[in-house]
Amino acid sequence: MPGPWESHICPGCACLCDDIDLVEAEQGVTVHNVCAWGAAKFLGTKKFHPGEPRRRLTAPFIRHRGRRREVGEGEALKRAVELLAQARRPVVFGLTASGCRAQEAAMALARRFRARLEPADLHLMAPYYQALLTEEIYHAPLDFLRDEADTVIYWGANPLHACPRHLTRYAFFARGRFTERGAEDRRLAAVDLHRTELARFCQVFVKTAPGRDLELIRAVHDLVAGRGAAQAVKGASRLADFLRQGEVGVIFAGRGLAYGEGARARFAALAALVRDLRPERRYFLFPLASDFNSAGLYHLLLTRLGSPGAPDFREGDPPRCHWEPVDWGEVDAVLVTGADLFWLLPEGTRRELSRRQVPVVAVGPWEDRTAAQAAVGLPAALEGIEVEEVACRQDGLPLFLRPVLPAPAPAAHQVLTRLLEISA
Amino acid sequence: MLTAEELLEFLPRTDCGQCGMTCADFAGLLLSRDLAPADCPVLHEPEYAGFIEALEELLAAAPAAARGMAIDPERCIGCGICVAMCEHHLAQVPEARAGRGPRPGDRVIFRVVNGLVRVVNQELCVRLLQAAEKCSKCAEHCPAEAITLR
Repeated sequence: MPGPWESHICPGCACLCDDIDLVEAEQGVTVHNVCAWGAAKFLGTKKFHPGEPRRRLTAPFIRHRGRRREVGEGEALKRAVELLAQARRPVVFGLTASGCRAQEAAMALARRFRARLEPADLHLMAPYYQALLTEEIYHAPLDFLRDEADTVIYWGANPLHACPRHLTRYAFFARGRFTERGAEDRRLAAVDLHRTELARFCQVFVKTAPGRDLELIRAVHDLVAGRGAAQAVKGASRLADFLRQGEVGVIFAGRGLAYGEGARARFAALAALVRDLRPERRYFLFPLASDFNSAGLYHLLLTRLGSPGAPDFREGDPPRCHWEPVDWGEVDAVLVTGADLFWLLPEGTRRELSRRQVPVVAVGPWEDRTAAQAAVGLPAALEGIEVEEVACRQDGLPLFLRPVLPAPAPAAHQVLTRLLEISA
Repeated sequence: MLTAEELLEFLPRTDCGQCGMTCADFAGLLLSRDLAPADCPVLHEPEYAGFIEALEELLAAAPAAARGMAIDPERCIGCGICVAMCEHHLAQVPEARAGRGPRPGDRVIFRVVNGLVRVVNQELCVRLLQAAEKCSKCAEHCPAEAITLR
Protein backbone atom coordinates (compact mmCIF):
# COMPACT_ATOMS: atom_id res chain seq x y z
CA MET A 1 0.00 0.00 0.00
CA PRO A 2 1.60 3.30 -1.01
CA GLY A 3 1.94 6.20 1.43
CA PRO A 4 -0.92 8.57 2.12
CA TRP A 5 0.59 11.37 0.00
CA GLU A 6 0.77 9.39 -3.18
CA SER A 7 -2.34 10.09 -5.20
CA HIS A 8 -4.03 7.40 -7.23
CA ILE A 9 -6.20 7.34 -10.29
CA CYS A 10 -9.77 6.22 -9.81
CA PRO A 11 -11.14 3.76 -12.40
CA GLY A 12 -14.71 4.50 -11.30
CA CYS A 13 -15.76 6.48 -14.39
CA ALA A 14 -14.34 8.18 -17.47
CA CYS A 15 -13.12 11.22 -15.47
CA LEU A 16 -10.25 9.03 -14.19
CA CYS A 17 -9.77 11.42 -11.23
CA ASP A 18 -6.09 11.58 -10.32
CA ASP A 19 -6.37 13.01 -6.79
CA ILE A 20 -7.44 9.91 -4.90
CA ASP A 21 -5.62 9.42 -1.57
CA LEU A 22 -5.60 6.23 0.42
CA VAL A 23 -5.26 6.98 4.11
CA GLU A 24 -4.66 4.49 6.89
CA ALA A 25 -7.26 4.95 9.61
CA GLU A 26 -8.08 2.91 12.67
CA GLN A 27 -11.07 1.32 11.01
CA GLY A 28 -8.98 0.38 7.98
CA VAL A 29 -7.92 2.15 4.82
CA THR A 30 -10.15 5.05 3.78
CA VAL A 31 -10.31 6.47 0.27
CA HIS A 32 -10.29 10.26 0.09
CA ASN A 33 -11.70 12.47 -2.69
CA VAL A 34 -13.48 9.59 -4.37
CA CYS A 35 -17.12 9.93 -5.40
CA ALA A 36 -19.77 7.32 -4.65
CA TRP A 37 -19.14 5.58 -7.99
CA GLY A 38 -15.39 5.29 -7.43
CA ALA A 39 -15.85 4.31 -3.78
CA ALA A 40 -18.01 1.39 -4.91
CA LYS A 41 -15.03 0.06 -6.89
CA PHE A 42 -12.40 0.67 -4.23
CA LEU A 43 -14.55 -0.71 -1.41
CA GLY A 44 -16.25 -3.49 -3.41
CA THR A 45 -19.76 -2.22 -2.73
CA LYS A 46 -22.82 -1.74 -4.92
CA LYS A 47 -22.82 1.48 -6.93
CA PHE A 48 -26.37 2.52 -6.12
CA HIS A 49 -26.45 1.01 -2.63
CA PRO A 50 -23.30 2.15 -0.83
CA GLY A 51 -22.53 -0.06 2.13
CA GLU A 52 -23.91 -3.20 0.55
CA PRO A 53 -21.07 -5.48 -0.54
CA ARG A 54 -21.03 -6.47 -4.20
CA ARG A 55 -20.43 -10.16 -4.78
CA ARG A 56 -17.24 -11.15 -6.56
CA LEU A 57 -16.80 -13.93 -9.04
CA THR A 58 -14.38 -16.04 -7.03
CA ALA A 59 -13.78 -19.20 -9.07
CA PRO A 60 -14.07 -20.31 -12.70
CA PHE A 61 -17.28 -22.21 -13.42
CA ILE A 62 -19.07 -24.12 -16.16
CA ARG A 63 -22.84 -24.41 -16.39
CA HIS A 64 -24.10 -27.88 -17.19
CA ARG A 65 -27.86 -28.48 -17.58
CA GLY A 66 -28.58 -25.22 -15.81
CA ARG A 67 -26.34 -25.93 -12.84
CA ARG A 68 -23.14 -24.14 -12.10
CA ARG A 69 -20.12 -26.27 -11.31
CA GLU A 70 -16.84 -24.78 -10.12
CA VAL A 71 -13.93 -26.09 -12.18
CA GLY A 72 -10.24 -25.40 -12.66
CA GLU A 73 -9.18 -22.46 -14.80
CA GLY A 74 -7.85 -24.77 -17.57
CA GLU A 75 -11.16 -26.59 -17.94
CA ALA A 76 -13.18 -23.36 -18.01
CA LEU A 77 -10.85 -21.82 -20.60
CA LYS A 78 -11.08 -24.95 -22.77
CA ARG A 79 -14.88 -24.95 -22.61
CA ALA A 80 -15.01 -21.24 -23.47
CA VAL A 81 -12.82 -21.79 -26.53
CA GLU A 82 -15.04 -24.71 -27.63
CA LEU A 83 -18.19 -22.59 -27.38
CA LEU A 84 -16.70 -19.69 -29.31
CA ALA A 85 -15.08 -21.91 -31.95
CA GLN A 86 -18.36 -23.80 -32.61
CA ALA A 87 -20.35 -20.59 -33.10
CA ARG A 88 -21.19 -19.24 -36.55
CA ARG A 89 -21.93 -15.68 -35.39
CA PRO A 90 -19.90 -15.07 -32.21
CA VAL A 91 -19.75 -11.61 -30.63
CA VAL A 92 -17.16 -10.12 -28.26
CA PHE A 93 -19.19 -7.60 -26.25
CA GLY A 94 -18.40 -4.81 -23.78
CA LEU A 95 -14.83 -3.59 -23.28
CA THR A 96 -15.71 -0.02 -22.30
CA ALA A 97 -14.93 -0.84 -18.66
CA SER A 98 -11.76 -2.77 -19.57
CA GLY A 99 -8.18 -1.51 -19.66
CA CYS A 100 -6.35 -0.94 -22.95
CA ARG A 101 -4.41 -4.20 -22.62
CA ALA A 102 -7.62 -6.21 -22.22
CA GLN A 103 -9.14 -4.38 -25.19
CA GLU A 104 -6.17 -5.30 -27.39
CA ALA A 105 -6.40 -8.93 -26.30
CA ALA A 106 -10.15 -8.94 -26.98
CA MET A 107 -9.62 -7.58 -30.47
CA ALA A 108 -7.07 -10.33 -31.18
CA LEU A 109 -9.60 -12.85 -29.89
CA ALA A 110 -12.36 -11.43 -32.09
CA ARG A 111 -10.01 -11.74 -35.07
CA ARG A 112 -9.16 -15.35 -34.16
CA PHE A 113 -12.80 -16.45 -33.81
CA ARG A 114 -13.90 -14.29 -36.75
CA ALA A 115 -16.29 -12.60 -34.37
CA ARG A 116 -17.87 -9.18 -34.24
CA LEU A 117 -16.45 -6.83 -31.61
CA GLU A 118 -19.34 -4.86 -30.15
CA PRO A 119 -18.52 -1.91 -27.85
CA ALA A 120 -21.07 -1.52 -25.03
CA ASP A 121 -21.67 2.15 -25.92
CA LEU A 122 -21.46 1.90 -29.72
CA HIS A 123 -24.62 3.97 -30.18
CA LEU A 124 -23.13 6.90 -28.24
CA MET A 125 -19.45 7.03 -29.09
CA ALA A 126 -19.26 5.78 -32.68
CA PRO A 127 -21.49 8.58 -34.07
CA TYR A 128 -19.43 11.14 -32.17
CA TYR A 129 -16.09 9.92 -33.52
CA GLN A 130 -17.56 9.70 -37.00
CA ALA A 131 -18.77 13.29 -36.68
CA LEU A 132 -15.29 14.26 -35.49
CA LEU A 133 -13.83 12.74 -38.67
CA THR A 134 -16.37 14.09 -41.13
CA GLU A 135 -17.83 17.34 -39.76
CA GLU A 136 -14.64 19.34 -39.16
CA ILE A 137 -15.20 19.85 -35.47
CA TYR A 138 -12.35 20.29 -33.00
CA HIS A 139 -11.24 18.09 -30.17
CA ALA A 140 -10.12 19.68 -26.87
CA PRO A 141 -8.71 18.24 -23.65
CA LEU A 142 -10.80 18.61 -20.52
CA ASP A 143 -8.14 20.84 -18.95
CA PHE A 144 -8.55 23.33 -21.79
CA LEU A 145 -12.31 23.34 -21.30
CA ARG A 146 -11.83 23.90 -17.56
CA ASP A 147 -9.55 26.86 -18.26
CA GLU A 148 -11.50 28.50 -21.06
CA ALA A 149 -15.08 27.33 -21.52
CA ASP A 150 -17.58 29.96 -20.38
CA THR A 151 -20.63 28.19 -21.81
CA VAL A 152 -21.47 24.60 -20.95
CA ILE A 153 -24.39 22.55 -22.24
CA TYR A 154 -25.34 19.02 -21.23
CA TRP A 155 -27.55 17.53 -23.94
CA GLY A 156 -29.24 14.27 -22.96
CA ALA A 157 -26.66 13.86 -20.22
CA ASN A 158 -26.72 14.03 -16.45
CA PRO A 159 -23.12 14.19 -15.26
CA LEU A 160 -24.17 13.67 -11.66
CA HIS A 161 -25.23 10.15 -12.58
CA ALA A 162 -22.65 9.40 -15.31
CA CYS A 163 -19.49 10.96 -13.82
CA PRO A 164 -20.33 12.58 -10.44
CA ARG A 165 -17.19 14.77 -10.26
CA HIS A 166 -17.39 16.02 -13.85
CA LEU A 167 -19.00 19.33 -12.87
CA THR A 168 -16.56 19.89 -10.04
CA ARG A 169 -13.35 18.95 -11.80
CA TYR A 170 -13.78 20.18 -15.36
CA ALA A 171 -17.08 21.57 -16.45
CA PHE A 172 -18.79 24.09 -14.21
CA PHE A 173 -17.44 24.61 -10.70
CA ALA A 174 -13.70 24.16 -11.34
CA ARG A 175 -11.69 27.37 -11.48
CA GLY A 176 -9.30 27.65 -14.39
CA ARG A 177 -7.01 30.21 -15.97
CA PHE A 178 -9.76 32.28 -17.60
CA THR A 179 -12.55 31.03 -15.38
CA GLU A 180 -11.10 32.16 -12.08
CA ARG A 181 -14.45 32.52 -10.36
CA GLY A 182 -15.59 29.04 -11.37
CA ALA A 183 -19.36 28.80 -11.65
CA GLU A 184 -19.71 32.60 -11.60
CA ASP A 185 -17.64 32.84 -14.80
CA ARG A 186 -19.72 30.24 -16.60
CA ARG A 187 -23.22 29.74 -17.87
CA LEU A 188 -24.86 26.33 -17.87
CA ALA A 189 -27.72 24.91 -19.91
CA ALA A 190 -29.20 21.44 -20.12
CA VAL A 191 -31.56 19.61 -22.44
CA ASP A 192 -33.22 16.51 -21.06
CA LEU A 193 -36.42 14.52 -21.03
CA HIS A 194 -36.94 15.12 -17.33
CA ARG A 195 -36.07 17.95 -15.01
CA THR A 196 -32.79 16.74 -13.50
CA GLU A 197 -30.70 17.93 -10.54
CA LEU A 198 -28.73 20.04 -13.02
CA ALA A 199 -31.71 22.38 -13.39
CA ARG A 200 -30.82 24.18 -10.15
CA PHE A 201 -27.56 25.46 -11.72
CA CYS A 202 -28.88 26.11 -15.22
CA GLN A 203 -29.60 29.47 -16.83
CA VAL A 204 -31.54 27.58 -19.50
CA PHE A 205 -33.16 24.18 -18.99
CA VAL A 206 -35.07 22.77 -21.94
CA LYS A 207 -37.35 19.83 -21.33
CA THR A 208 -37.71 17.95 -24.58
CA ALA A 209 -39.86 15.02 -25.65
CA PRO A 210 -38.62 11.58 -26.73
CA GLY A 211 -37.58 11.59 -30.39
CA ARG A 212 -37.70 15.41 -30.71
CA ASP A 213 -33.97 16.11 -30.26
CA LEU A 214 -33.14 16.26 -33.97
CA GLU A 215 -35.93 18.76 -34.54
CA LEU A 216 -34.66 20.91 -31.67
CA ILE A 217 -31.02 20.77 -32.86
CA ARG A 218 -32.01 21.79 -36.39
CA ALA A 219 -34.22 24.63 -35.12
CA VAL A 220 -31.39 25.94 -32.91
CA HIS A 221 -28.99 25.63 -35.86
CA ASP A 222 -31.31 27.62 -38.11
CA LEU A 223 -31.70 30.36 -35.51
CA VAL A 224 -27.96 30.54 -34.83
CA ALA A 225 -27.26 30.74 -38.57
CA GLY A 226 -29.82 33.55 -38.86
CA ARG A 227 -32.07 31.55 -41.18
CA GLY A 228 -35.08 31.63 -38.89
CA ALA A 229 -36.46 28.31 -37.68
CA ALA A 230 -38.58 26.45 -40.21
CA GLN A 231 -41.01 25.64 -37.44
CA ALA A 232 -41.36 26.78 -33.85
CA VAL A 233 -39.77 24.32 -31.44
CA LYS A 234 -40.15 24.86 -27.72
CA GLY A 235 -36.89 26.07 -26.14
CA ALA A 236 -35.03 26.57 -29.45
CA SER A 237 -34.81 30.36 -29.29
CA ARG A 238 -33.67 30.33 -25.64
CA LEU A 239 -30.95 27.81 -26.50
CA ALA A 240 -29.89 29.71 -29.62
CA ASP A 241 -29.54 32.95 -27.62
CA PHE A 242 -27.63 31.09 -24.95
CA LEU A 243 -25.19 29.67 -27.52
CA ARG A 244 -24.71 32.98 -29.30
CA GLN A 245 -23.72 34.71 -26.06
CA GLY A 246 -20.78 32.34 -25.40
CA GLU A 247 -17.18 32.84 -26.50
CA VAL A 248 -15.78 29.41 -25.74
CA GLY A 249 -18.34 26.68 -25.26
CA VAL A 250 -18.76 22.97 -25.02
CA ILE A 251 -21.72 20.67 -25.62
CA PHE A 252 -21.50 17.44 -23.66
CA ALA A 253 -23.71 14.92 -25.43
CA GLY A 254 -24.95 12.00 -23.39
CA ARG A 255 -26.72 8.71 -23.82
CA GLY A 256 -30.04 10.50 -24.12
CA LEU A 257 -29.05 11.52 -27.65
CA ALA A 258 -27.93 8.03 -28.55
CA TYR A 259 -31.07 6.05 -27.70
CA GLY A 260 -33.34 4.94 -30.49
CA GLU A 261 -33.08 5.28 -34.24
CA GLY A 262 -31.14 8.11 -35.82
CA ALA A 263 -28.29 8.60 -33.35
CA ARG A 264 -25.90 9.30 -36.24
CA ALA A 265 -28.19 11.96 -37.66
CA ARG A 266 -28.49 13.65 -34.27
CA PHE A 267 -24.73 13.69 -33.74
CA ALA A 268 -24.15 14.92 -37.30
CA ALA A 269 -26.69 17.74 -36.74
CA LEU A 270 -25.09 18.68 -33.43
CA ALA A 271 -21.64 18.64 -35.04
CA ALA A 272 -22.90 20.88 -37.85
CA LEU A 273 -24.30 23.29 -35.24
CA VAL A 274 -20.97 23.37 -33.40
CA ARG A 275 -19.07 23.86 -36.69
CA ASP A 276 -21.29 26.77 -37.75
CA LEU A 277 -20.96 28.49 -34.38
CA ARG A 278 -17.22 28.54 -34.89
CA PRO A 279 -16.26 31.52 -37.01
CA GLU A 280 -17.03 33.95 -34.20
CA ARG A 281 -16.87 31.59 -31.25
CA ARG A 282 -14.99 28.46 -30.28
CA TYR A 283 -17.34 25.59 -29.60
CA PHE A 284 -16.59 21.93 -28.90
CA LEU A 285 -18.64 18.76 -28.90
CA PHE A 286 -17.87 16.04 -26.40
CA PRO A 287 -19.57 12.72 -25.64
CA LEU A 288 -20.12 12.08 -21.95
CA ALA A 289 -18.90 8.49 -21.73
CA SER A 290 -19.31 6.99 -18.30
CA ASP A 291 -17.33 3.72 -18.41
CA PHE A 292 -13.74 4.31 -17.43
CA ASN A 293 -12.00 3.35 -20.66
CA SER A 294 -14.54 3.96 -23.37
CA ALA A 295 -12.19 6.43 -25.09
CA GLY A 296 -9.41 3.82 -25.06
CA LEU A 297 -11.54 1.38 -27.01
CA TYR A 298 -12.33 3.90 -29.74
CA HIS A 299 -8.68 4.91 -29.96
CA LEU A 300 -7.87 1.25 -30.53
CA LEU A 301 -10.55 0.91 -33.20
CA LEU A 302 -9.48 4.12 -34.92
CA THR A 303 -5.74 3.40 -34.83
CA ARG A 304 -5.99 -0.27 -35.85
CA LEU A 305 -8.96 -0.25 -38.21
CA GLY A 306 -9.50 3.40 -39.12
CA SER A 307 -13.15 3.40 -38.15
CA PRO A 308 -14.97 3.79 -34.82
CA GLY A 309 -17.73 1.34 -35.85
CA ALA A 310 -18.08 -2.23 -34.57
CA PRO A 311 -15.72 -4.44 -36.62
CA ASP A 312 -17.04 -7.76 -37.87
CA PHE A 313 -14.10 -10.08 -38.64
CA ARG A 314 -16.45 -12.64 -40.17
CA GLU A 315 -16.70 -10.43 -43.21
CA GLY A 316 -12.96 -10.45 -43.85
CA ASP A 317 -9.83 -8.83 -42.51
CA PRO A 318 -9.63 -5.82 -42.51
CA PRO A 319 -13.19 -6.12 -41.28
CA ARG A 320 -16.29 -4.21 -42.23
CA CYS A 321 -17.25 -1.77 -39.47
CA HIS A 322 -20.90 -1.41 -38.49
CA TRP A 323 -22.72 1.59 -37.07
CA GLU A 324 -25.92 -0.09 -36.04
CA PRO A 325 -26.00 -2.36 -32.97
CA VAL A 326 -25.67 -6.07 -33.64
CA ASP A 327 -28.80 -8.06 -34.44
CA TRP A 328 -28.96 -10.28 -31.35
CA GLY A 329 -31.33 -12.63 -33.14
CA GLU A 330 -28.40 -13.89 -35.26
CA VAL A 331 -25.82 -14.20 -32.50
CA ASP A 332 -25.06 -17.72 -31.30
CA ALA A 333 -22.25 -17.15 -28.77
CA VAL A 334 -21.08 -14.14 -26.77
CA LEU A 335 -17.89 -13.38 -24.90
CA VAL A 336 -18.57 -10.56 -22.44
CA THR A 337 -15.89 -8.56 -20.66
CA GLY A 338 -15.84 -5.00 -19.36
CA ALA A 339 -19.64 -4.62 -19.31
CA ASP A 340 -22.74 -6.30 -17.93
CA LEU A 341 -24.54 -7.42 -21.09
CA PHE A 342 -27.68 -8.68 -19.39
CA TRP A 343 -28.06 -5.40 -17.49
CA LEU A 344 -27.71 -3.32 -20.66
CA LEU A 345 -29.98 -5.28 -23.00
CA PRO A 346 -33.72 -4.62 -23.25
CA GLU A 347 -35.86 -7.17 -21.45
CA GLY A 348 -37.18 -8.75 -24.69
CA THR A 349 -33.69 -9.33 -26.11
CA ARG A 350 -32.51 -10.74 -22.79
CA ARG A 351 -35.35 -13.24 -22.74
CA GLU A 352 -34.75 -14.17 -26.36
CA LEU A 353 -31.06 -14.90 -25.70
CA SER A 354 -32.00 -17.03 -22.70
CA ARG A 355 -34.73 -18.84 -24.64
CA ARG A 356 -32.34 -19.72 -27.46
CA GLN A 357 -29.75 -20.74 -24.84
CA VAL A 358 -27.06 -18.66 -26.50
CA PRO A 359 -23.86 -19.58 -24.65
CA VAL A 360 -22.27 -16.65 -22.82
CA VAL A 361 -18.66 -16.58 -21.63
CA ALA A 362 -18.28 -13.99 -18.87
CA VAL A 363 -14.83 -12.65 -17.99
CA GLY A 364 -14.92 -10.17 -15.13
CA PRO A 365 -14.61 -9.44 -11.44
CA TRP A 366 -18.29 -9.38 -10.43
CA GLU A 367 -21.17 -11.79 -9.92
CA ASP A 368 -23.34 -9.64 -12.15
CA ARG A 369 -26.42 -10.41 -14.25
CA THR A 370 -24.25 -11.65 -17.12
CA ALA A 371 -22.33 -14.05 -14.85
CA ALA A 372 -25.67 -15.32 -13.54
CA GLN A 373 -26.64 -16.37 -17.10
CA ALA A 374 -23.18 -17.41 -18.30
CA ALA A 375 -22.29 -20.87 -19.57
CA VAL A 376 -18.68 -20.26 -18.56
CA GLY A 377 -17.44 -17.77 -15.96
CA LEU A 378 -13.83 -16.69 -15.61
CA PRO A 379 -12.96 -14.38 -12.71
CA ALA A 380 -10.70 -11.40 -13.35
CA ALA A 381 -9.09 -8.84 -11.08
CA LEU A 382 -10.29 -5.24 -10.79
CA GLU A 383 -8.29 -3.22 -13.28
CA GLY A 384 -6.60 -0.16 -11.81
CA ILE A 385 -7.25 -1.35 -8.25
CA GLU A 386 -5.94 -4.91 -8.06
CA VAL A 387 -3.86 -5.07 -11.24
CA GLU A 388 -2.11 -2.43 -13.30
CA GLU A 389 -3.68 -1.27 -16.52
CA VAL A 390 -3.70 1.59 -18.97
CA ALA A 391 -6.82 3.65 -19.61
CA CYS A 392 -7.74 6.76 -21.59
CA ARG A 393 -9.61 9.59 -19.90
CA GLN A 394 -12.80 10.88 -21.47
CA ASP A 395 -10.75 13.27 -23.62
CA GLY A 396 -8.29 10.58 -24.72
CA LEU A 397 -5.44 11.27 -22.29
CA PRO A 398 -3.74 7.90 -21.65
CA LEU A 399 -3.06 7.19 -17.97
CA PHE A 400 -1.33 4.35 -16.16
CA LEU A 401 -3.39 2.85 -13.35
CA ARG A 402 -1.38 1.36 -10.49
CA PRO A 403 -2.70 -1.45 -8.30
CA VAL A 404 -3.36 -0.71 -4.63
CA LEU A 405 -4.77 -4.02 -3.43
CA PRO A 406 -3.66 -7.64 -3.92
CA ALA A 407 -5.31 -9.40 -6.85
CA PRO A 408 -7.48 -12.47 -6.08
CA ALA A 409 -7.64 -13.39 -9.79
CA PRO A 410 -5.59 -12.83 -12.96
CA ALA A 411 -6.00 -9.64 -14.99
CA ALA A 412 -8.65 -9.73 -17.73
CA HIS A 413 -5.99 -9.31 -20.43
CA GLN A 414 -4.19 -12.40 -19.10
CA VAL A 415 -7.41 -14.45 -19.21
CA LEU A 416 -8.15 -13.29 -22.77
CA THR A 417 -4.57 -14.01 -23.87
CA ARG A 418 -4.86 -17.54 -22.40
CA LEU A 419 -8.05 -18.04 -24.43
CA LEU A 420 -6.14 -16.93 -27.51
CA GLU A 421 -3.26 -19.32 -26.80
CA ILE A 422 -5.58 -22.29 -26.24
CA SER A 423 -7.49 -21.57 -29.42
CA ALA A 424 -4.29 -21.53 -31.53
CA MET B 1 -11.42 26.13 20.07
CA LEU B 2 -12.56 22.54 20.48
CA THR B 3 -12.68 20.62 17.20
CA ALA B 4 -14.58 17.58 15.99
CA GLU B 5 -11.25 15.86 15.41
CA GLU B 6 -10.32 16.28 19.09
CA LEU B 7 -13.65 14.78 20.11
CA LEU B 8 -13.11 11.95 17.65
CA GLU B 9 -10.03 10.92 19.67
CA PHE B 10 -12.40 9.83 22.45
CA LEU B 11 -14.86 7.98 20.23
CA PRO B 12 -14.45 4.32 19.18
CA ARG B 13 -13.65 5.29 15.53
CA THR B 14 -14.96 1.96 14.33
CA ASP B 15 -17.84 3.50 12.33
CA CYS B 16 -19.97 0.60 13.59
CA GLY B 17 -23.16 2.51 12.73
CA GLN B 18 -25.00 1.57 15.96
CA CYS B 19 -25.82 5.24 16.49
CA GLY B 20 -26.94 5.56 12.88
CA MET B 21 -23.90 7.43 11.59
CA THR B 22 -20.12 7.44 11.39
CA CYS B 23 -17.94 8.41 14.33
CA ALA B 24 -16.88 11.63 12.51
CA ASP B 25 -20.51 12.66 12.06
CA PHE B 26 -21.23 11.79 15.68
CA ALA B 27 -18.33 14.04 16.74
CA GLY B 28 -19.78 16.89 14.69
CA LEU B 29 -23.13 16.51 16.41
CA LEU B 30 -21.43 16.35 19.82
CA LEU B 31 -19.76 19.65 19.01
CA SER B 32 -23.06 21.26 18.07
CA ARG B 33 -24.61 19.79 21.25
CA ASP B 34 -27.21 17.89 19.25
CA LEU B 35 -26.01 14.66 20.82
CA ALA B 36 -24.45 13.79 24.16
CA PRO B 37 -21.50 11.42 24.69
CA ALA B 38 -23.81 8.90 26.34
CA ASP B 39 -25.71 8.55 23.04
CA CYS B 40 -22.86 6.40 21.71
CA PRO B 41 -23.80 2.79 22.62
CA VAL B 42 -20.24 1.54 22.28
CA LEU B 43 -18.83 3.96 24.88
CA HIS B 44 -20.89 2.15 27.51
CA GLU B 45 -18.77 -0.97 27.06
CA PRO B 46 -16.14 -1.61 29.77
CA GLU B 47 -13.35 -1.26 27.22
CA TYR B 48 -14.19 2.43 26.90
CA ALA B 49 -14.60 3.21 30.62
CA GLY B 50 -13.91 6.87 31.32
CA PHE B 51 -14.38 8.04 27.72
CA ILE B 52 -17.87 9.47 28.33
CA GLU B 53 -16.60 11.46 31.30
CA ALA B 54 -13.60 12.72 29.32
CA LEU B 55 -15.85 13.88 26.48
CA GLU B 56 -18.23 15.59 28.90
CA GLU B 57 -15.29 17.36 30.49
CA LEU B 58 -14.04 18.56 27.08
CA LEU B 59 -17.47 19.77 26.06
CA ALA B 60 -18.09 21.51 29.37
CA ALA B 61 -14.82 23.44 29.06
CA ALA B 62 -15.53 24.57 25.50
CA PRO B 63 -18.11 27.23 24.68
CA ALA B 64 -21.06 25.87 22.76
CA ALA B 65 -20.36 26.09 19.06
CA ALA B 66 -22.87 27.66 16.78
CA ARG B 67 -25.10 25.15 15.09
CA GLY B 68 -23.51 23.90 11.92
CA MET B 69 -24.39 21.66 9.01
CA ALA B 70 -25.55 18.07 8.84
CA ILE B 71 -24.96 15.68 5.94
CA ASP B 72 -27.51 13.11 4.89
CA PRO B 73 -25.42 10.06 3.90
CA GLU B 74 -28.39 8.52 2.11
CA ARG B 75 -28.49 11.39 -0.36
CA CYS B 76 -24.80 12.34 -0.77
CA ILE B 77 -23.11 11.10 -3.97
CA GLY B 78 -19.67 12.47 -3.17
CA CYS B 79 -19.58 14.86 -6.15
CA GLY B 80 -17.48 17.30 -4.10
CA ILE B 81 -19.37 20.42 -5.18
CA CYS B 82 -19.57 21.54 -1.53
CA VAL B 83 -15.79 21.12 -1.22
CA ALA B 84 -15.22 23.28 -4.31
CA MET B 85 -17.79 25.95 -3.37
CA CYS B 86 -16.89 26.37 0.32
CA GLU B 87 -15.74 29.94 1.10
CA HIS B 88 -13.08 28.72 3.54
CA HIS B 89 -11.64 26.33 0.96
CA LEU B 90 -11.71 29.05 -1.68
CA ALA B 91 -9.35 31.15 0.41
CA GLN B 92 -7.27 28.49 2.13
CA VAL B 93 -7.17 25.29 0.06
CA PRO B 94 -5.70 25.75 -3.44
CA GLU B 95 -6.46 22.17 -4.46
CA ALA B 96 -10.18 22.55 -3.72
CA ARG B 97 -10.17 25.91 -5.48
CA ALA B 98 -9.10 24.20 -8.69
CA GLY B 99 -11.75 21.51 -8.37
CA ARG B 100 -9.39 18.84 -7.06
CA GLY B 101 -9.79 17.10 -3.73
CA PRO B 102 -7.85 18.47 -0.73
CA ARG B 103 -4.76 16.57 0.40
CA PRO B 104 -4.95 14.57 3.65
CA GLY B 105 -3.02 17.21 5.65
CA ASP B 106 -5.11 20.22 4.54
CA ARG B 107 -7.30 21.85 7.17
CA VAL B 108 -10.68 21.69 5.53
CA ILE B 109 -14.30 21.83 6.59
CA PHE B 110 -15.53 19.11 4.23
CA ARG B 111 -13.75 16.06 3.01
CA VAL B 112 -15.09 13.33 0.71
CA VAL B 113 -14.22 10.01 2.31
CA ASN B 114 -15.31 6.65 0.91
CA GLY B 115 -17.71 8.37 -1.46
CA LEU B 116 -19.49 10.51 1.14
CA VAL B 117 -18.88 14.02 2.39
CA ARG B 118 -17.84 14.34 6.02
CA VAL B 119 -17.71 17.50 8.07
CA VAL B 120 -14.27 17.35 9.68
CA ASN B 121 -13.65 20.88 10.96
CA GLN B 122 -17.00 22.55 11.33
CA GLU B 123 -15.52 25.27 13.51
CA LEU B 124 -13.72 26.70 10.44
CA CYS B 125 -17.01 27.42 8.67
CA VAL B 126 -17.23 31.08 7.67
CA ARG B 127 -20.90 31.03 8.41
CA LEU B 128 -20.30 30.08 12.03
CA LEU B 129 -17.37 32.43 12.55
CA GLN B 130 -18.36 35.76 11.09
CA ALA B 131 -21.07 35.81 8.49
CA ALA B 132 -23.78 33.72 9.98
CA GLU B 133 -26.48 34.43 7.46
CA LYS B 134 -24.38 35.16 4.45
CA CYS B 135 -22.66 31.95 3.41
CA SER B 136 -24.72 28.89 2.63
CA LYS B 137 -22.95 27.94 -0.59
CA CYS B 138 -22.43 24.29 0.32
CA ALA B 139 -26.13 23.68 0.94
CA GLU B 140 -27.28 25.92 -1.91
CA HIS B 141 -25.15 24.10 -4.47
CA CYS B 142 -25.62 20.52 -3.27
CA PRO B 143 -27.45 18.82 -6.16
CA ALA B 144 -28.60 15.98 -3.92
CA GLU B 145 -29.85 18.38 -1.20
CA ALA B 146 -27.82 16.37 1.28
CA ILE B 147 -26.61 19.33 3.38
CA THR B 148 -28.82 20.96 5.99
CA LEU B 149 -27.73 24.16 7.67
CA ARG B 150 -29.08 24.52 11.17
